[in-house]
Amino acid sequence: MNLNEFLPTIEPENLYAPVMAEITEIKRLTSMEVFYRIELPDGAELGHQPGQFVEVSIFGVGEAPFSISSSPTHKGSFELGVRKAGMLTDVMTRLQPGTKLGIRGPFGTGVDVEKFKGKDVLIVAGGIGLVPMRSMINYVLDRREDFGRLIICYGSRSEQDLLFTDEIAKWEADPKVEFHVTVDQGGEGWKGNVGVITTLVPGLDLDLTNTACCVCGPPIMYRFVLMALKSKGLSDESIYMSLERRMKCGVGKCGHCQINSSYVCQDGPVYHYPDLKNLQEAL
Amino acid sequence: MAEKPRVAIFDFTGCEGCELNQLNFEDQLLDILAHVDIVEWREAMDDRAAEYDIAFVEGSLSTPDCITRINDIRRRTKVLVALGACAVQGGINGMKNTQAIEEVREEVYGEDKYLFPTLPALALHEVVKVDYNVRGCPMTQIEFLKLFTSLVMGKQPIEPDHAVCVDCKLKENECVYERGMICLGPVTRAGCDAQCPSVGQYCTGCRGLVTNPNLSGMEEILVEHGLSVDEAWKRLELYNANDLEGAR
Amino acid sequence: MVQFYLDAERLPAFVAHLMAQKTVIAPHAKGQKSFTFETVAEPDQVVLDYPRVMQSIRKFFLPPKEELLTFDLTENSYETTEVEPIDAIFLGVHSYDVAAVGRLDYNFSVGSPEKNYLTRRQGAVFVGVSFVPDSYHFSGSVNIRPEDPTGCDIFLTKLFEGYVLEVHTPTGEELIKGFDMPAHDAGRPATGHFQQHIYVPQTRLSEIMEQSYDNDVWAETAEQCVGCGTCNLVCPTCYCFNVDEAVDVTVTKGHRERHWDGCMLRKFSEVAGGEVFRESLAGRQRHRIFRKFKYISDTTGQPWCVGCGRCTAACPAHISIVGIVNRLISDHAQAVVAPI
Repeated sequence: MNLNEFLPTIEPENLYAPVMAEITEIKRLTSMEVFYRIELPDGAELGHQPGQFVEVSIFGVGEAPFSISSSPTHKGSFELGVRKAGMLTDVMTRLQPGTKLGIRGPFGTGVDVEKFKGKDVLIVAGGIGLVPMRSMINYVLDRREDFGRLIICYGSRSEQDLLFTDEIAKWEADPKVEFHVTVDQGGEGWKGNVGVITTLVPGLDLDLTNTACCVCGPPIMYRFVLMALKSKGLSDESIYMSLERRMKCGVGKCGHCQINSSYVCQDGPVYHYPDLKNLQEAL
Repeated sequence: MAEKPRVAIFDFTGCEGCELNQLNFEDQLLDILAHVDIVEWREAMDDRAAEYDIAFVEGSLSTPDCITRINDIRRRTKVLVALGACAVQGGINGMKNTQAIEEVREEVYGEDKYLFPTLPALALHEVVKVDYNVRGCPMTQIEFLKLFTSLVMGKQPIEPDHAVCVDCKLKENECVYERGMICLGPVTRAGCDAQCPSVGQYCTGCRGLVTNPNLSGMEEILVEHGLSVDEAWKRLELYNANDLEGAR
Repeated sequence: MVQFYLDAERLPAFVAHLMAQKTVIAPHAKGQKSFTFETVAEPDQVVLDYPRVMQSIRKFFLPPKEELLTFDLTENSYETTEVEPIDAIFLGVHSYDVAAVGRLDYNFSVGSPEKNYLTRRQGAVFVGVSFVPDSYHFSGSVNIRPEDPTGCDIFLTKLFEGYVLEVHTPTGEELIKGFDMPAHDAGRPATGHFQQHIYVPQTRLSEIMEQSYDNDVWAETAEQCVGCGTCNLVCPTCYCFNVDEAVDVTVTKGHRERHWDGCMLRKFSEVAGGEVFRESLAGRQRHRIFRKFKYISDTTGQPWCVGCGRCTAACPAHISIVGIVNRLISDHAQAVVAPI
């Protein structure tokens, strides 16, 4: 039998062809992070889940993955929060509204919101980890009746590095949001908590039987947050983690994002913690 | 870009081969000149300018005067690009640093040695901040063009950090080890499209080492192919003496 | 199945017969000691008696460098680059390289099927040839015999001064029409023995790997390994790639280009900001070996190593994949019987 007889008979679409989407709003979040609102052509919806990502490209510069920061409940556009960390992001920070970017996606497995429904939602976000978690936070806020309490722990390097400060102010003022924030280094005028994000966890009052937690932050953070959550008494089954790797193609082909046998762009970036235990390279 | 960037080109201790290589862009020279104004270039023109957007600097720093001049250039330019092995990693000149400097002076200048003050040959980055590198001996033309288009577009150039072996495999070159040669490709930074092995020559390591090279592993490979340990290190040091200081 | 005898002297005539029907791609000598698959221009340049080609025929379906799209910087627009099926006869392919194409077919079909690869794969015809195992081949250990015709339309088995030619598909029947050969009814000779073996059946390898995550062999191998990536780049089942932008010197246009990449290279797992998630060479070696014998195999039931021996033959540090696997096996055996 010729080998070709095993080939699929479908006519595959081109996975690497981006859709040209327009930046409609740009806002500086901090000295390093910039916010983008992006609209797909013809008012199309991105159709994502909280925690998913898109591949953004600028011709002649490159393509890289970015977490989607807006909630899917927010229609008509989607949002990104981008840290200036490489060549593409450096060029992105100099763009003007009206510029078109190449967009592929959404990709990956986001937060399984069904698993959070009816439960108290605990979000632990370190630094730029707030960008994808903001999608989940706003999803919960927009479907408030589907969820129990919303508890947010947010850690940042300093007051100047806090992201989405307008929204933080709203969350702090919202009686239905329990918002806790800490900075690693408190400056003058900072009245809040000082210390790494794990210092927020012991003080939380959690219903251990009915809480689902989602964690996102820099690589160094996960092990420590995990220890804090476990000593608080949260079960492994109640923890979800969003991991960063180099998701270059987004479609499970190029190999860069692998954690052991898992392609982060397919099985992640949001993993159920029990599944991560078999992936030694994960945390 | 509204105004064309002003470009200046300078040379220090080196053979000027990199600059000549720049003049050699027969097919692309006009396209290059369409994007920039060359305001200072001793090898091709007489004018001098006070400030530049981009300074391309060739050669290593080997006299006190070199240090003064490179600091001056750094002050005048927004972007400084090291051009070629001497400027990027000290290059061939760096071999001088493996010997006692007084002996070197004696050997080269004889009894006039006190007329010629000399320093160990330094890469530019050892004295001033270097923004970008174009590696190679002479500097790799395709890398220069990539850097050039990047600068015109206002993006940071990508510096390759994989071994020359990768480029050889992509081109399906017969490994020069198969021809009985000894090649530094396994630890040398690619970006040259494996120029030398593609024409049956071994890699001399002119583009510098990859990040975190396994030097003892490379020594083992070289010794296994017939070099003594000393010869192996001399081979590695040909272009990389400065980076390998203390590594033996 | 019909068998014929093809005399070695008539091989150029046979190649010419195939060339009259389709493009023929076959092994040629390259350099002093090496071989490569190229489009045949002169039938007598084809070499069927070769140990292995430097790059398997993967290079035709997944080219080392490939333009994905072209863009216009002044218009901020692009066009995808359309690819064509490789409508050719691949003559003189070894069984392990045919098997490797089958592995890649899986990788590019599973999940999100990839257009460029699958388009190129349409229409290929395979004429396999048996090989005599040299000191690097070990495909027998992964159930691929030198005379295994799986996937081929025609298969040639070396017999003295000629070949036993077997036709395995209707396509194969069409190919030999009009080319007279004497029938052969003495069966096929057994080909040579392998000099290299993995000590246990491949079905047990996944379980052994599972127990070998922290084996010392990774760190020990890393002392010799210089991280050059050669093993990845010559592997017929490796398919990882990276994508770069190539801008024309006029800075008005360019193209997006993909090229082969490898998990042994340091930058492979680097993210923006500089974090490298698989920094140690030991970890990278383990990942490479696990990709071949465990990760994909756990899903498909097949090893993703086809036993061609390229990675070992081409490694400048002479790191042997069979050596690593057998070391894991023997350490595992000792661990199992050792008193607690």
